[in-house]
Amino acid sequence: MAEMEVKDSGKKKGPGVKKGKKLSTRVDLTPMVDLGFLLITFFIFTTTVSQPTSMNLNMPKDTKDPDQNTKVKESGSLTLMLGKGNVIYYYYGNDPATMQTTGYKDVRKIILEKKRTTPAEDLFIIIKPDKDATYKNAVDILDEMDINDISRYAMVDPTPDEYSKIQQTEAAAGVQ
Amino acid sequence: MGRAKIKRGSTTVDMTPMCDVAFLLLTFFILATKFKPPEILEVTPPSSVSNKVAPQKDFLNVTIDKDNKVYLSMDEAMKSEVFDELVKERNLNLTAQDKQNFEQAGFVGVPFSQLSQFLKLKPEEIKATTLPGIPVDSTNNELQAWISAAVNARLGSKLNFLIKGDDGAKYPTFKAVIDAFKANEQYKFNLVTNSKQVPEGSELYKKNLREQMGEKDK
Repeated sequence: MAEMEVKDSGKKKGPGVKKGKKLSTRVDLTPMVDLGFLLITFFIFTTTVSQPTSMNLNMPKDTKDPDQNTKVKESGSLTLMLGKGNVIYYYYGNDPATMQTTGYKDVRKIILEKKRTTPAEDLFIIIKPDKDATYKNAVDILDEMDINDISRYAMVDPTPDEYSKIQQTEAAAGVQ
Repeated sequence: MGRAKIKRGSTTVDMTPMCDVAFLLLTFFILATKFKPPEILEVTPPSSVSNKVAPQKDFLNVTIDKDNKVYLSMDEAMKSEVFDELVKERNLNLTAQDKQNFEQAGFVGVPFSQLSQFLKLKPEEIKATTLPGIPVDSTNNELQAWISAAVNARLGSKLNFLIKGDDGAKYPTFKAVIDAFKANEQYKFNLVTNSKQVPEGSELYKKNLREQMGEKDK
């Protein structure tokens, strides 16, 4: 730079010599910022933020000895049977004949009602997914136990009687 | 009257600091991005309110897809041991090359009889073929053998059993998987789910709220 200045001052310019235009070194950075933010947006969206979560499931040991089986008070038990087509059949106590039908949206009310009317130490929910229930149904109902803060529940298979009753109900209701 | 002249400022803003910030953020996100490995198994897990992150170490993952087929994948670190143990336990006729392929394979989705052939396939080829899945029937429960091999290979250390099922998978398959674990005296599982919000006003919501309040009091 200094050299240039020396040159400039030393040489007298003639009338035809155009003065070298000093170009600004400033560059408009706006497009660059645009590009930067575009890329940021892209990376924000592609970043895997949510890692899969998991719910714990503890299953009991199978035991043949009836003495070791969990005793459930009849007054405190609620049986939820998960059937075909996202339908739940439920009954209180020990009598499958009183079976009623509900869905996954309304089951919370039933669970809460049972929870409210039953002493905490007697409350026991028995989940019986049948052959036509999906994995989602099982997870949903286990999740419902979490949501309603039910600590005592078990997942078992429906008895053949119960299964045939479910099938009859399904056939009558025309569930495909 | 001498009115003060308002100086007209230039509307051009110096973009350099903004540019700096943008690229700093960009660098951060580029470095922080972990691309999802291309998933050959397409499974949509159900959602739950659970907020525990699925364990990423020492895991044995059983995947059930919507056609009720069962696949198995596991932690890279234990593949070699599990393979050796399985060959030993089941007297399988597998070569060192198979073992190498197994260590590179993402998952297993065939019965033992087709294992060697399956391990030779490239990921693209796997995607193109329909896999039979690992048999979990009561007559031929090969999943049980896999679990047994994994448990024995990692004797003494804790294994995390992940079960990742598709929304559409049927319950009997899930039960068969659980039974295979039970047969190996494993009773604790982690069901992989998508997280969802705890419904407002529910018992768990109130409980969480109470816990938060309790923490604040202290």
